[in-house]
Amino acid sequence: MIRVTSLIKEYTLGGDTFRALHDVSFEVSEGMLAAIVGQSGSGKSTLLNILGGLDRATSGQYWLNGKNVGEFAPDTWAHERNRTLGFVFQSFQLIPTLTAWDNVALPLVYRRVPLKERRERARRALSEVGLANRLGHKPAQLSGGQQQRVAIARALIGDPRVLLADEPTGNLDTQTGEDIMSLLQELNRAGRTIVIVTHSQDIAQQCRQVIHIQDGRVVRDALLEEVSK
Amino acid sequence: MTWTDSFRLAVAGMWANKLRALLTMLGVIIGVGAVIVLVAIGKGASNAVASRIETLGTNVVFVSPTAGTPFSESAISYINQAIPFPVTTIGTMNTASKVSTATTSGGAQVVGTSAAYWKLGALSLAAGHFLTTNEVSQGQHVAVLGANQAISLFSGQNPVGDPLMILGQQFTVVGVLNSVGQGPGASQDNAIFIPITTASPLIGTNQLSEVMVKTGTPNQASLVSDLLTNLYNNRFGSGSMVIASEDQVLQTLQATRATFTALLAGTAAIALLVGGIGIMNIMLVSVTERTREIGIRQALGATREDIILQFLLEAMVISLSGGILGIGLGSGLVVLSPVLFKTPISFSPQSIALSFVFSTAVGLIFGLYPAFKASGLEPIQALRYDG
Repeated sequence: MIRVTSLIKEYTLGGDTFRALHDVSFEVSEGMLAAIVGQSGSGKSTLLNILGGLDRATSGQYWLNGKNVGEFAPDTWAHERNRTLGFVFQSFQLIPTLTAWDNVALPLVYRRVPLKERRERARRALSEVGLANRLGHKPAQLSGGQQQRVAIARALIGDPRVLLADEPTGNLDTQTGEDIMSLLQELNRAGRTIVIVTHSQDIAQQCRQVIHIQDGRVVRDALLEEVSK
Repeated sequence: MTWTDSFRLAVAGMWANKLRALLTMLGVIIGVGAVIVLVAIGKGASNAVASRIETLGTNVVFVSPTAGTPFSESAISYINQAIPFPVTTIGTMNTASKVSTATTSGGAQVVGTSAAYWKLGALSLAAGHFLTTNEVSQGQHVAVLGANQAISLFSGQNPVGDPLMILGQQFTVVGVLNSVGQGPGASQDNAIFIPITTASPLIGTNQLSEVMVKTGTPNQASLVSDLLTNLYNNRFGSGSMVIASEDQVLQTLQATRATFTALLAGTAAIALLVGGIGIMNIMLVSVTERTREIGIRQALGATREDIILQFLLEAMVISLSGGILGIGLGSGLVVLSPVLFKTPISFSPQSIALSFVFSTAVGLIFGLYPAFKASGLEPIQALRYDG
């Protein structure tokens, strides 16, 4: 489903070149619940951004769903993100001026789904995450957990094959974080490929594949059986 | 993203910052409103002049002295003798005067002239009669009122036979004219015609203000114009008289109108340019403020085209709304013009169409840069923006 080979990401700051990712290679198969684990500054979020097409690797190859997406032009990537990927961010990234309903429907706007249909699908998606009674609320009127549920509903509304979550519980209290993780596990059991970036070992232990990143390098890539060993 | 969605988004974006959008629109509102009012005033004046010229025909030559050139009543016979074909020559002696009735007073352009003035064919009577040869030759204290004077001094009542004080003396109103509109020089609607023989001693001069020579054909008018120009240039020197046929006056007016139109276009362009810069400025602020939103939209699948369309349409909605409000403001002022402006005014549908096109173009042109700037953002940079 996801295969990266020899990914390198370099940033140039004031004439100095800084390498955030060194020769990163791994694979995540379809239907997997994978965690990319590492300390702050290890390069895990950079990696996730590249996986989501939000950032571009300096070199290396990236295959998504059998396509060499690393070579995609910006607009081709936009279509790919819209159809294949769903994002869940640590800071929710909801548009503050839009209601929960409109936020969730947003991916369908860029898929040119008619208004009536996308409103119906958004209503259903919000019901599935337990927010049927919060359709008209704006993000500021919702708790952190509710905002993250809205973000998950938005990530799922386009029925993407892969869900990318960047510290999805990072801004939530323990109980709400556990609820969100349960929701992600449930979605994974339903067949969706999920990649979670986290610094938390607790969350990593709930995943079936764990990729450890340290100083921009993959230092360990293990499946659940190997992790438990 | 469909055009409908982009439009809906643009309206929502404007609605989210109503006051700011309204203030941004002000430049366009004022610019468009000004264009509509100025065009209406310009067209109104132009129509009135054209209508006067149509009434007079194009076979009248105006002769008036510049400062210091002697031009007494003997000029009339001098001109008549110089022209080798029959013409009608009318002299006028004009002065501004305070006029009053028993109850009202005001100002008027007093025109001392002869009965022949009527032969110009420019006037028509609403009541009474025009100055007669007898009244003029006997120097009677009689007056014929222009349409506006009859209204302002006698409240629209028939004043024929009523007394009227002009230049400190009592006159009797013998006639009232129909409205003729604005002409070259003072409007005849604001004039009061009295016998030239009465006017001369009251004004204290025998200097004519103007002589009008009516010929049989426009060609003759052109000939007369050239002939009199040569004659007076030889007699008093170049520039001693202003001599122009109605045709030449018309050409001058058309040239003036073209200059006026250019000036108007320039004013409109400056006003709309200022409005456009305002729109661009606020759209750039909007792009900066909404950088993170742009990142979110990109993450969810918005293409460059989607982002361009969103911000471009928002700029156009602001500009177009400003244009529509400006059209409302301008049209309102035009409708209220009889009260607000003491000048002929003529509503121009073309100026509305032009304003509409211009305000759309302003939004399009000045919205382009912010829209392209927004679309050029890198998704990850936009998402990380912490403004």
